Amino acid sequence: MEIDTQFLKGSISLLLLHLLSRGELYGYEILQEASRRSANAFDFKEGTLYPALHQLEKKGQIKAEWRTAENGRKRKYYSLTPKGKKTAVAYERQWQHLTGAMAAILESK
Amino acid sequence: MRKADELIHDVVTYAQIPSARRRREIQRELTAHIEDFVDAARDAGHEEQEIELLLMAHFGDARQVAEGFLHVYRYERRTFLVFAYALSTLLIASSLLMAILGIQTGLAFGFGTPISELLASKHTVVQALDIVAFVAVYLGLTLLETQFERCRFQKAAIMLAAIGAVLTMSCRAMGFHPAFLFYGLITGLFFRAVRLFIPAEVARVGIVLVCFVLAGFSFALLRSPVSLVDLFVTCASWLALGMGYLLMSRLAPRVDAAVLDRLQRI
Repeated sequence: MEIDTQFLKGSISLLLLHLLSRGELYGYEILQEASRRSANAFDFKEGTLYPALHQLEKKGQIKAEWRTAENGRKRKYYSLTPKGKKTAVAYERQWQHLTGAMAAILESK
Repeated sequence: MRKADELIHDVVTYAQIPSARRRREIQRELTAHIEDFVDAARDAGHEEQEIELLLMAHFGDARQVAEGFLHVYRYERRTFLVFAYALSTLLIASSLLMAILGIQTGLAFGFGTPISELLASKHTVVQALDIVAFVAVYLGLTLLETQFERCRFQKAAIMLAAIGAVLTMSCRAMGFHPAFLFYGLITGLFFRAVRLFIPAEVARVGIVLVCFVLAGFSFALLRSPVSLVDLFVTCASWLALGMGYLLMSRLAPRVDAAVLDRLQRI
């Protein structure tokens, strides 16, 4: 099922912070990981991913570092900052609350 | 892959990121991403041409990708534009002032008017402020025009007039009468309108010639008594001013673009 880009835009920070809370990743790995973990439901584009990563970096929630990847090429690895870790926890709580409330509305008759 | 290189180039260009270091980094990051994409597609058994098509389809339109970056770096871009605008204004205004003072000094010298009277007078300070205000308004108009899709000049003029009114009122509240702001606004709007709505350069020169000689004539007559030489020098001085402004209206956008380009490389 294709997901509306507006839905995705609203939740991309949570998605990225959550993915990075499990360890540092570079752009291409993030796309692959999101796609794999969501059974291809999240197939978002580079045009959404990279600006969102740069926005989080500007907010100080993630930091980036160029390092050599397993394939021997230089890649820009992103990881969470302490501020990002706190934001990730807060966003996850908000999301649980929101989806719970939304589910209650959608399931009510 | 030429198309991939073009795509990255387009993204970085449209994104208008002010810092050269940041642009290089985005370019490097997107190149790395494309390398991974191509490797994965090759491993999956796709042909080169097919990979290129897949890449274009996945990446989407360069402008759309750039829009994301444009939004992220909007504040840096605005700060950068204001800085470039201030620098261009100072650069152009000081060059114009030097040129006009040079011509006026030549005229004064030719007609036997003491040069010290011209250069060390309050008039020179007023003229310098007028020129800075004129250049600031002219460049401000060209900058604001880029922010609108339709009726660009009209909207930019209204915005600048509003800014000018607020500045004038603020200055007056502090007991200072900034006549140069009003002068800058009028001359800036006049020359921008001449540049935009009069297509032939000869006609522009003609209009400026008539308007500035008449202005010089009127100002000379305000002083009494006025000699014929004084009248001629004042008219010639105003004409030099007008021609300097007209030349500036032609060169300013180029100088501004060059300043912007230089700053973007830093």
